[in-house]
Amino acid sequence: MYVIVTYDITDDKRLNKVRKVLKKYLYWCQLSTFEGEISEGKLEKCKSEIFDIINFEEDSIYFFEVKNPKNIVKKVIGIEKNYMDNIL
Amino acid sequence: MARRFYINSNGRIRRKENTLYFEREIDGEIEKKALPINDIDSIYIFGEININTKALNFLAQNDIPLHIFNYYGYYSGSFLPRKKNVSGSLIVEQVKHHIDNQKRQYLAISFIEGAVYHILRNLRKNGINKDDYQDIEKELFPKIFKTKTPEELMAIEGNIRDKYYQLFNKIIENENFYIEKRDKRPPSNPINALISFGNTLMYNTVLTEIYRTQLEPTISYLHSPQEKRFSLSLDLAEIFKPFIVDPIIFSLINNQVISLNDFDTDLNYAYLNEEGRKKFLKAYEEKLAKTIKHRKLKRKVSYKQLIRLECYKLIKHFIEDEDYKPFKAWW
Repeated sequence: MYVIVTYDITDDKRLNKVRKVLKKYLYWCQLSTFEGEISEGKLEKCKSEIFDIINFEEDSIYFFEVKNPKNIVKKVIGIEKNYMDNIL
Repeated sequence: MARRFYINSNGRIRRKENTLYFEREIDGEIEKKALPINDIDSIYIFGEININTKALNFLAQNDIPLHIFNYYGYYSGSFLPRKKNVSGSLIVEQVKHHIDNQKRQYLAISFIEGAVYHILRNLRKNGINKDDYQDIEKELFPKIFKTKTPEELMAIEGNIRDKYYQLFNKIIENENFYIEKRDKRPPSNPINALISFGNTLMYNTVLTEIYRTQLEPTISYLHSPQEKRFSLSLDLAEIFKPFIVDPIIFSLINNQVISLNDFDTDLNYAYLNEEGRKKFLKAYEEKLAKTIKHRKLKRKVSYKQLIRLECYKLIKHFIEDEDYKPFKAWW
């Protein structure tokens, strides 16, 4: 499935930790946003890693999950910050 | 679902914050690209890359093979992390099937049977007149089942391949890419370069899949295992070369995606240049990601997964669970 993750984290230290976890699974796309294709199992693993870090009172993380990646159309206005390309 | 990464440019691979970073210099500035470690299946390197042990250790931890190719796109070697799926008893069975001539021949014939099936399928699908390939179908194909040694089999396979490559000229709609004869080391013209490059990719994709199973990649049946290569991947690739690589070549040429500009002119067009490689890799990726509904598994399976399934079928054959039947595209 395809997932887009956005986050708002008040504390910089936690923010960096969350960012590092997300980076292992998904592609950075712009500030506070990650995206990418991921299996359900790996996504659960990713979430559980994040659960251990964040403060549930202050932080918020949104997961937009799309079961069928074909249903997603990405349109970019302005500069695209990061290409998800596997032929470098 | 993890992806293969093909690195064509020059730069450096490093480990940072538990991800792999690929850094390259563009207009004097260093561009960093994070490759999420959990989304990497294997890495193919065509450019000039610096890598240190820290990064290699990290790849090993995550079971990611790294394949390296030289300037001309020839395979030079792989970094295969320590195998975690090992099974001594399976290796014993694999060897047993190798030393018993009859058992070895059974497998060798199966691989060729799969290959020829797809060769004929290609010809049929590309609208070649039935009379043109009748001798392959009616004469040579039945012969392979009567062979007693892998050498005999290889000779007939060679004849089939010759005939097959002759028919390439009828499929290809661009005379720049006509094939006179198939040769490698070095390939003498563009079409040979395309075939060689595609086959190389195929070997390494198969090797990556074998690596993920308990099979021992050096013990082979059709090819002699003394070749100092991972010859089991050559065996299995026989089936998939005409199924995956050849149709890519036809479509790249006939849809005018690839032209003579995509070859290295200095070397008589015998090697793909960076642009050409990228185009080929893109088509290859799309092909491997294609899915079909598997009849037995009753779910969607990608072409890449078909290769893995082929490995599992071999394992089942070795442990005498189910006889090996080569994969034949049924659609």
